[in-house]
Amino acid sequence: MNILEIRGLHKDFGGLRALNDLSLTIEPGQIFGLIGPNGAGKSTAFNCIAGVYAPSGGEIYFNGVRINGERPWNLCKRGLARTFQIVKPFATKSVLYNVMVGAFARTNSRSEAERKALEVLEYLHFEKHRNSRAGNLTIADRKRLEIARALATEPQLLLLDEVMAGLRPSEVDEMVGVIQQLRGRGITIFVIEHIMRAIMALSDHVVVLHFGQKIAEGAPHQVASDERVIKAYLGDEYVISAG
Amino acid sequence: MTRRSINQSACLLVAVLALGLPLVMRSATYLHILILLYFYAYLTTSWNLVGGFAGVLPLGHAAFVGIGAYTSTILYLQYGVSPWLGMLVGGILATLVGILIGLPTFKMRGAYFALATIAFAEGIRVMIENIDRLGPFVINGPRGLQIPPLKLGLSNFMFAVKEPYYYIILIMLAAVLLLTYCISRSKLGYYLNAGGEEPEAAMALGVNVARAKLIAMAMSSFLTALAGTFYAQFTLYIHPKSVVSLDLSFEIAFIALIGGRGSIAGPVLGALLLRPVSDFSRIYFGDTVPGLHLIIFGVVLILVMLYQPRGLQEPLTRLYNRLVDRLAGTEGGEASA
Amino acid sequence: MIYLLEDTINGILMGSIYGLTALGLTVIFGVLKVINFAHGSLLMVAMYVTYWTVQMSGIHPYLSLVVVVPVMFVFGYYLQDIVIKPIFKAEKEVREPITVIIVTTGVWYILDNLTLLIFGPQYRNLQDNALRGKMFVLGDMLISVPKFWGFVTALVTAGLLYWFLQRTRIGRAIRATSLDREASSLMGISPYKVYNLAFGIGTATAGVAAVTLIPFYNVFPTVGVLFDIKGFIIVVLGGLGSIGGALLGGIIIGLIESVGPQFMAATWTEAIVYALFLVFLFLKPSGLFGVKYDW
Repeated sequence: MNILEIRGLHKDFGGLRALNDLSLTIEPGQIFGLIGPNGAGKSTAFNCIAGVYAPSGGEIYFNGVRINGERPWNLCKRGLARTFQIVKPFATKSVLYNVMVGAFARTNSRSEAERKALEVLEYLHFEKHRNSRAGNLTIADRKRLEIARALATEPQLLLLDEVMAGLRPSEVDEMVGVIQQLRGRGITIFVIEHIMRAIMALSDHVVVLHFGQKIAEGAPHQVASDERVIKAYLGDEYVISAG
Repeated sequence: MTRRSINQSACLLVAVLALGLPLVMRSATYLHILILLYFYAYLTTSWNLVGGFAGVLPLGHAAFVGIGAYTSTILYLQYGVSPWLGMLVGGILATLVGILIGLPTFKMRGAYFALATIAFAEGIRVMIENIDRLGPFVINGPRGLQIPPLKLGLSNFMFAVKEPYYYIILIMLAAVLLLTYCISRSKLGYYLNAGGEEPEAAMALGVNVARAKLIAMAMSSFLTALAGTFYAQFTLYIHPKSVVSLDLSFEIAFIALIGGRGSIAGPVLGALLLRPVSDFSRIYFGDTVPGLHLIIFGVVLILVMLYQPRGLQEPLTRLYNRLVDRLAGTEGGEASA
Repeated sequence: MIYLLEDTINGILMGSIYGLTALGLTVIFGVLKVINFAHGSLLMVAMYVTYWTVQMSGIHPYLSLVVVVPVMFVFGYYLQDIVIKPIFKAEKEVREPITVIIVTTGVWYILDNLTLLIFGPQYRNLQDNALRGKMFVLGDMLISVPKFWGFVTALVTAGLLYWFLQRTRIGRAIRATSLDREASSLMGISPYKVYNLAFGIGTATAGVAAVTLIPFYNVFPTVGVLFDIKGFIIVVLGGLGSIGGALLGGIIIGLIESVGPQFMAATWTEAIVYALFLVFLFLKPSGLFGVKYDW
């Protein structure tokens, strides 16, 4: 069974159609990429899947169950976790506290949540920051915290919203390593990214959005040579550098 | 000495001091002031459950004080129900009202909740002030209700001296502090903090933010109403201006905010610092400068928000920790953790 | 029947003045996303300014607009600049600056009690002004003259404000900032300057409201509290941030207060207002014209 299946997804804001007839299928264990220029509707698609917006039309199935309009916290309990493009740490709290909030999704016990949170932090080589105030972390560490929190909820499918934006090249490589490691753990990953180099290196399968519409789909190298994709990106600030 | 043993002895010292004070303090006036100080510390700690941990701003908690006070008093005066039982009934009634306010507003921006609480409290005050009877219940409008001190004793929650009141409110305060401590370390506490700080992120992590806030609101309303009954039994006279006034709602919020909302010690510290200001300015300047303590509150509030937005508990806690460190370092030689 | 019509007309007139008092609240919320709890106190201050201006000069109450409006604008502008702005800056990251709401309640307490200290608790009113007690006679109906002019002023003020926000460059900058805090910097204006302006304008409209009230209303240190609570209810009914909504919300309350007593004890009408507020909160919390906010 497919872990995520989207059929004919629409989203309108007032008179503006932000997302038009998007269909895609993600198989378990995949790293699935969603790319496109700024304002192409990528985040809108994510927000529809993650329950922030109710879709205007179309169907979303998670593990074969229709999840249209399901609230975010219920989706999390079903095994769908996400990170935010603009990171949202609980800034006045420690890193451990942040991750424990995620861990509480699967347990009511504080000690159990703490144990699980520490395990996640160790797994992400992040345990030395456990007592740091989340608001004082660097951008790269905040992005990592986003992933750590999401991971603590024990997801089957993880939506990563531009976790590499704003990172230095060395940090991007590190993040790519982390994501590959997650897949090794059996987590399916759906990733939005602007940084082509990273997404080409990571993804098994890529969908390209432009003005809310899917314009190409396939293996990364196929998509990168697609004429419509190149046209969509040209004139935009992002340049393809086949990684 | 280790840090742990220092902390324990500090707690013990505070406990002994609090328990022993009435034995050495013979002045009824000072005891009265202390009782009200604990009363406010209790109210503010209850407020803190929703106003501090859930990150919203309730500005109408006097409504719950009023519901508690009026419920138990009416039940006692008209039906002879023990105030202890009336206290419970008032608490349950307040819980229902608290849920009623929270249900629609916790899904909205925080401003709506603040507005709803303030308008609701004023609505209740207006109602009480304008109604002499509500069905079978005598409310007495603006004149209020008086409890004749005829049947003294624990079962009637009425005493000729102040000491019993002192110990009752002390126990109530200790209990609500313990409850706050437990909640802050529980899943609910984590969920409230998370939802208060970044609701969107919290929801994505499986937190039903509105529900967590609603639970906090229900508990806070319940506990606040209990204090209403205490106040009625302590003063034996309640009227709308004393128990449902906007000033009471604001004073509770101000004490919490100046002391430090969202922390356990903040509300108690706030009451310790501000209640004496309010009592003494009323005693000494009540006739000449009637609103003096409110001006002081306003100025202190703005200064604290500007320079110590987490409240005064933050620098004071730091000071205390440094003191403990020094003691632990010089006396025991054990490195501080 | 004729009484009902008379009450309806007077209710609409008084209600539009209520709307006028709430206009500043809705403008400030629209831009800063903060409920200014000191709004009633600013109205109170404006009423004292109006009272003393007219009392000492003996001019027609409405002429005092030229004094009251600039004074209140400057007062609001610098109140935001000196007291509120630093907190906004400190809490830049916070989605909803609750601390700012708190500070405005502090301002409320300081203003009300300082006024009490300076002017005492007594009620003051302008005994002989050009408008006091005047009535239009319309057939068998009596319509209050000062309330009629208040009604006209409310409509003009709302219209001017709407025009200002829609058509002028500064107005557009203010609206842009209300959508996105950073947007105004793209137009070359600091968002904090826009906040100052919005706060000044909101306070100036409280000044206009004070001038319309003075001919027939008492002034005392806690007069603002009455209008504060009413203002809160009005903006929730009309929709926070909506100018038309504030007027409409005010008129609804004015109608209930003036027509209600035909059918029930007058004290109950106040309870009805609060009940209506709660009903709205449950059924349409975004108000009549409000935007439904996401988290």
